[in-house]
Amino acid sequence: MQSRIIQIAGLALTIAYAVFIVWIYATEPRTFNEVATSAEVAAGTYQVNQEQFNSALDLFRREQFRAARDEWQRADPAQRDARTQFYIAYSFYREGWGRLYHDQQLFKQGLEAVNRAIGLSSASPLTVDDQNLQMHSAAELKAELEQGTERNWSDVNPLKVLRTRK
Amino acid sequence: MTQTNRSRNRALLNHVALPMLFLTVVLLGGLRVGTESRTFIFVAPPLVTLLLAVLLVLLLVRGRLIRFHQWIASDLPPLTNVVHIWMLITLFFASAQAFNSVLPERGLLHWLFSFFFLWTLWNNQFSSFDPRRLLRSLAILFGTAFVLKHMLLASLYSPEGGWLKRVAGTLLQGVSLGTLDTPNFAPATGYISFFTLILYIAGLILLAFAGKDEIDRVVYPVVGDARRGHLPQQSIEENTSHHERRDSG
Repeated sequence: MQSRIIQIAGLALTIAYAVFIVWIYATEPRTFNEVATSAEVAAGTYQVNQEQFNSALDLFRREQFRAARDEWQRADPAQRDARTQFYIAYSFYREGWGRLYHDQQLFKQGLEAVNRAIGLSSASPLTVDDQNLQMHSAAELKAELEQGTERNWSDVNPLKVLRTRK
Repeated sequence: MTQTNRSRNRALLNHVALPMLFLTVVLLGGLRVGTESRTFIFVAPPLVTLLLAVLLVLLLVRGRLIRFHQWIASDLPPLTNVVHIWMLITLFFASAQAFNSVLPERGLLHWLFSFFFLWTLWNNQFSSFDPRRLLRSLAILFGTAFVLKHMLLASLYSPEGGWLKRVAGTLLQGVSLGTLDTPNFAPATGYISFFTLILYIAGLILLAFAGKDEIDRVVYPVVGDARRGHLPQQSIEENTSHHERRDSG
């Protein structure tokens, strides 16, 4: 009877360990911190660091976009928060926007971030209620970033210089 | 009481310690540490390591380190069969990852090492082994591969320029080693690989003891009967000495 208990307990324990190993190889964490973060995500207890998020928002409003992105990346290391990813995409948009031309590299990175944000909020359309922004929905921001990366005849329109940043 | 403790310890070894040990080898076998960033890099086992693992498990069966007919049989309880199959699965993946640990990750050297492993394992299929010889042979095989990859090649391709690089540079002036390209990892990778291989070999040694009770009953059936009081003492001694002579021969 005791042998049977050991067999069952051993089987359960080792299967759990095997699942953990498969999960580690699937998520490929690079540091022990990332292991902990991935575990929080898997357990559903993951939360962004609100203090760092607010600090990043403050930097964003002062137009220090790179610093703001760094802070947001630290606040959401697993890239699992739709709102933070939306703000990161917005910071790429604002930094890459130009009256004569847009920075294609930054716009592409912005597009990746907004796609992540949309993916994370697939249940309902993502909207951010922030009075300092002119685009409140992720779909709007995505369209703007996509337009910025496309090349067409309107690029040579001289009236383009009258456009304003959103 | 002693018998109870023995069976409890054997159950713990067979059903908890051994699978945990082999799974730890699975975890660590593909782990590398990046040179500059010092971050973890997980390398999934390449296909060739699965093939090598199949050959190695076959060799373990042929070398009687795994007693397949005793582990999985129709007269055993289903749970025991399931537990033994699970241990074989962990052993298979541990073998694959042990190879992964000592194989260069890419380039010509990856294929050269794979070829030599395949050649050795294929040849060994046709040799006669007992568990002790097989364990010794495997320890030498993995030890050699470890020294070649984590000491010689690591030194040859070290960005700081290891001792071997300087020696090779002097001896092979003008000869390019570009075709033998292999990625660089931090020295911690070598330590991880060393402990992985130690764990794997330790697991194989423990595996040799895993079904010892059953071996005793199969190899020394007459002694087993006599211990249960079915044969006279003289007969036991005759049979025991006969088996010992046969084993030592």
